[in-house]
Amino acid sequence: MKCLALLAFLLAAACGTDDPRKPTVEVIATEILAPTCGQVQCHSTTTMTSGLAFDTLEAAKRTLPEMTAMDGKKSLYRVIHVTGGNRMPPDSPLDPADIDLIDSWLGSGAPGL
Amino acid sequence: MTKTSLLLAIAIAVFLLGSGKQAFAYPQYQLNSDKTCTGCHLAPDGGGILNENGINTAEATAWHAGDGNFMYGMSKPSWLDLGGDARAAAGFVYPGTASAAAYPMQAELAASVHWSGFSFHALGGLRQPQVNGNALHVIWSREHYLMWQSAPESHEGFYIRVGRMMPTFGLRLAEHVVYTQRFGGEPLYGEVYAVAASYVSDAFEVHATGFVHDSIASAAEHGDGGALYAEARIGEHGAIGAEGKYASSPDAHRTYAGLTGKLYLPGPSVMLLGEAEVIHQSFLAANDRVDQIAVYVMASHPLGSGLLLDLGAGHFTQDIQVKGLFRDAFDVDLHWFQTSHLEWLVTTRLELLDLASHTSGAYALLQLHYRL
Repeated sequence: MKCLALLAFLLAAACGTDDPRKPTVEVIATEILAPTCGQVQCHSTTTMTSGLAFDTLEAAKRTLPEMTAMDGKKSLYRVIHVTGGNRMPPDSPLDPADIDLIDSWLGSGAPGL
Repeated sequence: MTKTSLLLAIAIAVFLLGSGKQAFAYPQYQLNSDKTCTGCHLAPDGGGILNENGINTAEATAWHAGDGNFMYGMSKPSWLDLGGDARAAAGFVYPGTASAAAYPMQAELAASVHWSGFSFHALGGLRQPQVNGNALHVIWSREHYLMWQSAPESHEGFYIRVGRMMPTFGLRLAEHVVYTQRFGGEPLYGEVYAVAASYVSDAFEVHATGFVHDSIASAAEHGDGGALYAEARIGEHGAIGAEGKYASSPDAHRTYAGLTGKLYLPGPSVMLLGEAEVIHQSFLAANDRVDQIAVYVMASHPLGSGLLLDLGAGHFTQDIQVKGLFRDAFDVDLHWFQTSHLEWLVTTRLELLDLASHTSGAYALLQLHYRL
């Protein structure tokens, strides 16, 4: 599984995108995770569903270090890639461009945490 | 259903609809009889407790007539108005595979005490408990403000409000999943501490709000700033509006600007609503700037016997600089006002990413709404 995930990262990086955004924790947290996962009724500092918060950069930097593993219950990679009922966000999936950017950031070792 | 599936279903439900709504108004009814929100509500921006005309309108709209007053006409002093809402929902969501969900959404009470031109409004109730919980986050007040109005017996006039409230901005639809609500500066729990001035008349209305975020109870809005909304009525059944909002937080500066339009067609009895926004965000730590577009249009038609059908479509471009980074949503909502107190709502949504070239999301929920 870990090998497949790493291969996916490398393939995504090799293919390239039209995305000018930089795969940094600041971009990932404030531009992608905050408006989707960090909605106030979900993983916000107000609600803290499952003990996770992404609504501010500060909260995301506290939450993300335990989610950078390639696999496992709290793996960010797993929850945004899994198909079926365990996918997050549950109702409104992340755009593939956002997923690619997160993959690129995770694949480079999640710098900035 | 396994325990994992049950927990997932609950998480999905919470994600979708939260435990409350930011507004209880139905702008679908504006312009077909009353031109202003104050025609039916005490608050100048709509929502919350109904006034006498609002109760009568609810009675006239419902399938089964009765007593539309609070608790079916419970005795209370003339200086006091009371209200309340309870909501629950059940149905299916589709995050790749269909999952069932059933959950409570809202349990809130509202009170308004008024003397002469002054009044105090409070709205509060239950919300989701916080992990490592704080009682403030289980029982709380979303809105509490002091209001002065120049003509208390009229639906027109000046209004000044000070306290916790939603900045008046945009269409203010009840459904917070609408893109112009969720991404357009009116998110669920977006209440702030504010000073708001409004002028409302049949010809036009203007609302200006200066606000700071709630740093105690926390909320969706982390920034401080201001909002402006102006709407001019055109003829008997039309209106156009302009909106703007600016909020500055430690993470970002956000600017929203947009237009609204409303047109009621008496012949086919169809209400058309639309809102389009451009959003500019400067992310400070990321040293990045993003421009977005959020659009929502709706057609609403009463079917008789207390039924109201809403057809809606939305578009959200997340970042205009990134190719293909957008999504579209299509909503079909069927309301049944069985009585003026009891509403059944079937709400469905299909969301397509990049014109369905990627995984999509969907839900179909039955919502029960009881107004005290």
